[in-house]
Amino acid sequence: MTNKSYVKICLIAGLLALSLGGWILHTRVHPVVKNPANVIPVISALFGIFAIPAMFWFRRTFHAAYILNGMFVILGSITMAHFSYVHPPTPLSAYNLIMKTTLPDILILVSKLFTGMALLRLEFFPSGAATTGKIGRYPTLGWWTVHAAGIALVYALGAAIWR
Amino acid sequence: MNAIKLFKSGWWILHVAAVAFFFWLGHAVRM
Repeated sequence: MTNKSYVKICLIAGLLALSLGGWILHTRVHPVVKNPANVIPVISALFGIFAIPAMFWFRRTFHAAYILNGMFVILGSITMAHFSYVHPPTPLSAYNLIMKTTLPDILILVSKLFTGMALLRLEFFPSGAATTGKIGRYPTLGWWTVHAAGIALVYALGAAIWR
Repeated sequence: MNAIKLFKSGWWILHVAAVAFFFWLGHAVRM
């Protein structure tokens, strides 16, 4: 097995472990029967366990996996942030904002975005290749940033305007 | 791909669908 294949397997295994852990935690804390919105982590977990790892493995489906992976990170981050917004800690201190919100959960989820980016670099850039230098273009972090901001804005507008 | 190419190539359909979906999701999700 080449080093590249080994590293690829490790990264995909990391994504799989995060998806499994996330699914179990969400099932424990947010059963679907209690709130229909709790189906979102179930769908995300099913993609993250059964579809996305396999899609990362094959070059033909790699880019779809990369985009889906990141989009589920954005979806999870936004919905978890929404949860904390609706259930804020009291008092609203800096300590509580760090320790008593979904911030750590979001940070754990965001690791999947960087794992996906590592997979892409491994797959499409030979070792030693410089970065593309494109700011805000696919598949850079800037591209993810603008999409995360845009999706968050649209979601927030939906929550605020359409009651 | 820049924004103009994006919209000429047909990807605008996906973006419109995504905007509609996330707008609806913001409305539908009740915490």
